[in-house]
Amino acid sequence: MANFKNFCGSRDHTISRRGFFSAAAAGAAAFADMTRLDLLGSSALAGEMKKQQKRVILLWLAGGASQLETWDPKPGAATGGPFRSIQTAVPGVHITELMPKMAARMNHTLAIRSLNTRNGDHGSGAKLMMRGRKDEANVKFPDLGAVIAKEMGRADSKVPDYVTFYTQTEGRTMAPGDAGFLGSRYGPMELTTNNQPDNIKRLDGITELDHQQRADLRDLLSKQFAQGRASPTLGSQNEAYQRVRGLMASDKLFDVSQEPDRIRDKYGRGQFGEQVLIARRLVEAGVPFVRVARAWWDSHGQNFETHQEMVPELDQVMSALIDDLKDRGLLEHTMIITLAEFGRTPAINPSLGRDHFGNAWSCSLTGPGIKPGAYGKTDATGNKVIEGETDAAKLFATIYSALGINPHKNYYLGSRPIPLVEPGTEAIKEVLA
Amino acid sequence: MRWSRLALVLPLTLGSALPAAELLPPERPVPEVIDHYIDAKLRSANNTPAAQADDYTLIRRLTLDLVGRIPTPAETRAFVESKDPKRREQLVDRLMASPAFVRHQAAQFEAMLAGPNTRGNSGGLREYLVRALGENRTWDQIFRELLLPDENDAKKKGAVEFLRSRVTDTDRVTNDVSVAFFGVNVSCAQCHDHPLVTDWKQDHFYGMKSFFARTFDNGGFVAEREYGLVRFKPTKGPERQAKMMFLTGATVEAQGMKEPTKEEEKKDREKFEQLKKEKKPPPPPSFSARAKLVEVALQSKESEFFSRSIVNRLWHRFLGYGLVMPLDQMHSENKPSHPELLAWLARDVAAHKYDLRPTIRGIVLSQAYSRSSKWIAETVPGPTLFAVGRLKALTPMQMATSLKIATSDPKTFEDLKPEELEKKLEGLESSARGFASNFAQPTDDFQIGVGEALLFSNNDKVAREFLAEGNDKLLSRAKALGDTAKAVELIVRSVLSRPPTAEEQATLVEYIDRRGDRPVEAYRQVIWALVSGSEFRFNY
Repeated sequence: MANFKNFCGSRDHTISRRGFFSAAAAGAAAFADMTRLDLLGSSALAGEMKKQQKRVILLWLAGGASQLETWDPKPGAATGGPFRSIQTAVPGVHITELMPKMAARMNHTLAIRSLNTRNGDHGSGAKLMMRGRKDEANVKFPDLGAVIAKEMGRADSKVPDYVTFYTQTEGRTMAPGDAGFLGSRYGPMELTTNNQPDNIKRLDGITELDHQQRADLRDLLSKQFAQGRASPTLGSQNEAYQRVRGLMASDKLFDVSQEPDRIRDKYGRGQFGEQVLIARRLVEAGVPFVRVARAWWDSHGQNFETHQEMVPELDQVMSALIDDLKDRGLLEHTMIITLAEFGRTPAINPSLGRDHFGNAWSCSLTGPGIKPGAYGKTDATGNKVIEGETDAAKLFATIYSALGINPHKNYYLGSRPIPLVEPGTEAIKEVLA
Repeated sequence: MRWSRLALVLPLTLGSALPAAELLPPERPVPEVIDHYIDAKLRSANNTPAAQADDYTLIRRLTLDLVGRIPTPAETRAFVESKDPKRREQLVDRLMASPAFVRHQAAQFEAMLAGPNTRGNSGGLREYLVRALGENRTWDQIFRELLLPDENDAKKKGAVEFLRSRVTDTDRVTNDVSVAFFGVNVSCAQCHDHPLVTDWKQDHFYGMKSFFARTFDNGGFVAEREYGLVRFKPTKGPERQAKMMFLTGATVEAQGMKEPTKEEEKKDREKFEQLKKEKKPPPPPSFSARAKLVEVALQSKESEFFSRSIVNRLWHRFLGYGLVMPLDQMHSENKPSHPELLAWLARDVAAHKYDLRPTIRGIVLSQAYSRSSKWIAETVPGPTLFAVGRLKALTPMQMATSLKIATSDPKTFEDLKPEELEKKLEGLESSARGFASNFAQPTDDFQIGVGEALLFSNNDKVAREFLAEGNDKLLSRAKALGDTAKAVELIVRSVLSRPPTAEEQATLVEYIDRRGDRPVEAYRQVIWALVSGSEFRFNY
């Protein structure tokens, strides 16, 4: 806090990493104030952010959105469906007419049209696309959120490291957030019933002061116990308790009514829009990773009605998020990913649906480290990747590289080195800025 | 497979096979042997170990380790005040005779079999383990029953869950069995010869896999075919057929192992389809590859893997660190910290025909087990010296059951016959099972997440279950005493299983006295600060 108070507002101050972090750690409210003070305009600070504080918002299109009705339309093909495609802000790149707002913002976004993940199963597909690899017999891998929490989070953070919204029930148990071998320190704070996390509000039975003082008492007793007893587990427990007050103070971050109507209207008043707006509030306060799941795209029947309803919502919410992040100077630090467990078959079934399809589908990356436009190609019917084939490992290597994380970095499970991505995998060089 | 290659693979050793003559004689008591070897290494490292833990710490440690809960204040008092020179042995024997010992060991083995990175519980498997351990079935018998489950035998009910939950993934079965029973993680050798360990070739992975390749899921039943070969593509050379081969390199020739004709295969499939329709467990094949694995793994030359692994796991469970670490890397390039001790204990457990009780009893009666976890001097000795006690985070069930006991009125455990007390504690344990699911199973690099801290801080279930007033609650008893100093002593003895230090006593009395207008709140907050604190969270 002292650092923050001493900060006079001059853009020429050199902001040390420690100084910046303790300022940021002064809490969500302080961070919000800082953005109002236009601290992010400070080049020194922006530099620190670039190196240290990338964040990710994952829009999880649960159930599997259709690539043909989003990023890789095939108008006129037998498999193309009824929707047209439109020109985007990137010359030569067309996306579905259901996403006019994103078309206008395509200069920020990369569509990867050449995913071949060979998995058409909700459960194992979701795990694969959350983790970038398949679990081994005895290794449960951390998912993207846990890795980002570990890489970008801070030990003393007053905000959660990894938040996931999944309020709809369809598919929820199939795509849980999971820290795997990284352990619960990096596990997600999961919101499944409403937009407020569990156990973040003080119970009525205890006053604010008593709540604080009993925590101080706990701390005092625990410190006595810790004397002469060094243990990482013990350290993690005390660290966890030290974060409680900060997290409780972050409850306002989850309160969408703190935002002006003008902003709320841009995101829309639906649940998905509100949660994505909360996600923006969270990353603004320093949360490294937020997933917002939108279910249920599993359009085995009536694929076109489903997408006619859901794609425009995605278009509105995603474009509002891009504008909002840009206005706040956060877009260059925040990656937005749209991803699902798989795409949908080009073939249209007798119920006018599209089925599960993992062999040629799309996702999108927006934000830092990425060259906008489109990457990869599918054939004329959309059945096959013909250029730039990308599997889950390659996608994750690309995401990590764009965020400045070395994808070949090792974690250790006992004595065994475990690289972040499957060995032998390289990022898609062409799309890295 | 070419024999020349196999010859290169052989002989697979554990790197530390010692001639039996060099070990201490088998009849020496286990605790003596343990301390002999541990002390010898401490001397050679010029290290003086931590003092023995005090009596309060010792009874808490033994009670948590053996029956999965903290002691009641009355149990603690009785132990500490006893003048009997044999009181530690008596305590250990009393705890090990308790049904709670069986339940706690079952829970520990269940977590071990599930593996470090899996979640969820398998009620059926626990039920089986409670029964098997309750009847004092030996570890080799449990191994046999888990690998060769008989769904028609009521006594083995639940044993099938170990295989059933893995059967659709043969690689996983192969590795999980190797890890759980032989202390060997062969998954590295799946795609290539192990990069670090010359012991482990792809032949070992696929050799082990061959024992399970015929096992499959038949409509929810674990079934095994008469045939089935594993072929693999080595990193060098042409694709080849794997031999059923144990980790030592010992191979099994399958009599009449001939791949079936199309016709035979069709008939076989129909047979299993029919059984599936009738919802009947399939009969075992005339030649069972899985049965062969059990046979080979337990034969005298090969059983060293089996006996060393279980001994290492038990040591790790009680000392918080294995003689070989990690537990699934027992190979020649990862030497034990105390090779003779591991060899002696392995020989001993095999000599007891894999009855684990003498090993467990011996470990917990050793001086190495009962050292203080506090290290005052500057440089903390490395964990392989076992010079100082290690903190072990409580398991979910230890935590939840202990919370129940800690926050109960201590009077409710007094004036009961031993069997009544046993029942009462069992009741608390069952009622704790739901709350236990809030905690994660500790692993070697266990990290406690903020979710747990938020749970204790703000969850109304914590408030209702542990911090409420009520007839049988600690809070009400503390309030009824009407004396702050006495109440503080009662609370600390109940929650931390020891009397408060003078400093703690003063701090807590002051905390309560400052809240003279709301004494119940004050007591509640003190109980909270203790149950959420570090001391309670660990077996130290």
